Amino acid sequence: MSDDKILHPEIDPELERSLVLTTVDWVKDWGRRNALWPMAFGLACCAMEMMATAATKYDLDRFGAGVFRASARHSDLMIVAGTLSHKMAPRLRRLYEQMPDPKYVIAMGACVVGGGPYSKYGYHVVQGVDLIVPVDIYLPGCPPRPEALIDAIRKLQYRIQQQGGATIQETQKTA
Amino acid sequence: MADNPDTAASPDPVTERALRIIEEGAPGAVTTSELTGRHPWIGVKAESLRDVAGLVRDHDDLKMECCHLISGVDWPDPKSETGGEMEVIYHLCSYAFPADEAYKQRAEKNDPWIALKVRVPRDKPEVPTVMDIWTGADWHERETYDLVGIRFTMRKELFRILLPEDWPGHPLQKDWVYPASYHGVPIIPPEGL
Amino acid sequence: MSDGNPSLRSGGEPRHAGTVEIHERQEMVSRDLRTEEMVFNMGPQHPATHGVLRVVCKSDGETVRALQPHVGNIHRCVEKIGENLPYYQWLPYVDRMDYLAAICNEHVACMAIEKLGELEVPERAEYGRVIVAEVQRILSHLMAIGVYGLDLGAFTPFLHQFRERERGMDLLDHISGGRLLYHFVRIGGLKRDLSQDWLDELDAWIDTVEQRLPEYNTLLLNNRIFQERTMGIGVIDRDTAVRWGVTGPGLRAAGVNWDCRRDVPYSIYDRFDFEIPHGHSGIGGELGDCFQRHWIRVREVEESVKIIRQARAQLPEGPVMGRVPKGFRPKDAEVYFRAENPRGELAVYMIGAGKPEAYRIRCRGPSFSNIACITEVAEGMLIADLVALIGSLDIVLGEVDR
Repeated sequence: MSDDKILHPEIDPELERSLVLTTVDWVKDWGRRNALWPMAFGLACCAMEMMATAATKYDLDRFGAGVFRASARHSDLMIVAGTLSHKMAPRLRRLYEQMPDPKYVIAMGACVVGGGPYSKYGYHVVQGVDLIVPVDIYLPGCPPRPEALIDAIRKLQYRIQQQGGATIQETQKTA
Repeated sequence: MADNPDTAASPDPVTERALRIIEEGAPGAVTTSELTGRHPWIGVKAESLRDVAGLVRDHDDLKMECCHLISGVDWPDPKSETGGEMEVIYHLCSYAFPADEAYKQRAEKNDPWIALKVRVPRDKPEVPTVMDIWTGADWHERETYDLVGIRFTMRKELFRILLPEDWPGHPLQKDWVYPASYHGVPIIPPEGL
Repeated sequence: MSDGNPSLRSGGEPRHAGTVEIHERQEMVSRDLRTEEMVFNMGPQHPATHGVLRVVCKSDGETVRALQPHVGNIHRCVEKIGENLPYYQWLPYVDRMDYLAAICNEHVACMAIEKLGELEVPERAEYGRVIVAEVQRILSHLMAIGVYGLDLGAFTPFLHQFRERERGMDLLDHISGGRLLYHFVRIGGLKRDLSQDWLDELDAWIDTVEQRLPEYNTLLLNNRIFQERTMGIGVIDRDTAVRWGVTGPGLRAAGVNWDCRRDVPYSIYDRFDFEIPHGHSGIGGELGDCFQRHWIRVREVEESVKIIRQARAQLPEGPVMGRVPKGFRPKDAEVYFRAENPRGELAVYMIGAGKPEAYRIRCRGPSFSNIACITEVAEGMLIADLVALIGSLDIVLGEVDR
């Protein structure tokens, strides 16, 4: 066997076409990124826009995030859509804790970003869902348009790929 | 949209009829009444509210079978001995006579059919329930208790409906102050931190 | 299985046959085994409760023995905000009460404020208000029809109605700049004039809606499975409806021929010719059941199309904003204003105090009274039918809790 053959072995062309070299981490994140299962957690007006995003015209399935689950235990993305009240806050926390890891949270709409229009006189409105659960993506708007929600999900997917899938909790722990 | 001054000044036919029936059926129950203007009403004593309610529901010429809305209003008065007054307003309506002439005249002004008002002292805001007369009043009474703090007596347990059970105070009272936090979650008061 | 399920095969079987069978089986079980009633929660995070309604049920097997709805999970303090903000700043909050019928809410709130302040609204604005309010009513009913199918396990009607709904939302988007919440009706008139292009777009849209309605009916109203699932279920009779203060389609399905648009005419509704669909035995099902409520929504879409066509033909020229005094301070007075929303009668009780903001504002959300009645109606129903009942009432929790 000559040196040339050792350095440049002859590879079966069939094998070359069907083999991909990558890291396990990359594949793991790729899978996580493209198979987000959001929880159907509609609280108020924004939930209608979330429904519109999943329905005919905007079709969230194109981005691999259209499988809305009714149960927290099936899902890995919580889109908090609508106003969070003090009465609902413990329930939201419990649902968040029921979700399996890794889990992500999108705060959709001005109300859950920081109280929104209710921040001044709304005694019963929690002024930002980040007081209750850690948030990955903030999406302002009252309500945000479906395009904006799609953008938020794309940003989350980018982030999952960039940060090696670490959730905001894990990032905060290491920081 | 503005009312014709003539119709605004003339007494409202339905409220007038209701006042006559109440005065006949339950003498001494009416305190004051306002028959003209855009919001005619009849003031009723708290202790005779249930008699009056039964009367306006069952009388053949009124048939107020639906309790449309119950609202509570806080009228504090620091000078008064009782700290002011609280008021409960019952807006009642009927689906029985859409063709009746008096109702037609009333309908053009788009007013509620009749409004009953009950005033109670602020330090002891207790009003008898009308839940057994109009079943739908149940939730309205609970909401009035929850937000304004008016207690309804003679009914099954009265508990909060919208706010959590351990919420401090009744937010629609004029002297209610924003709590600093609820179960560790901060509440920023309107004037800022 | 060649002969299939005998109860399905025979075709003419009454709907209750299955129920009776289950009851018999329960009796057999209880002879041999110790059974007990179970208390369980439905919601607040449940897809069939249309938001964050929590229903605590006591069940005996599959039968509901008692139930208590718990509301308040999105109480957003609209009444307190109304006491603190000037009238015109309060209007956006009214939109958010019933977020599926934002323009209808604005319309009612504006009419109440105009009545309090004795303001005049120009003719063209009145017609414009009726047009956009009826567009909103169609959108709201389309949503109700589609989501009701979703509740009962039919996903397709939901996707079909969203096709028309998206176009309708675009229509309102083009005129107001918002897809869901518009803040388009203002005190004294409208925010913008209705342009000729927009009106042409509107004509095309209502034609499409009218054309597509039979398609939805094929999927739901005339569908055998849908009929079996809704006919005779969740009957709210006239007495129950009136006692509990149920309004809107729920009241009309019970046979009460009542609609505020005709019987207490507000705005300019007395100038149009339209029918009030109400429940009767000729429709199918029982008077006041889930099927008839659904039927009324479908018919109301047709009537709204009729109203829009008439308003469109009569639309006068002129300004769309009346004279509103600077620093608007209605005098010390009260008003009570009620009007027909897609879900029932929305009423606003306002006390002015000669200040820019009101002394007290109280809103009657129709869903609040509509959902209260399930305490009584749902007793003795099957749990699966409870979903059908709640869906047919078409509640919006933002309006229940305000």
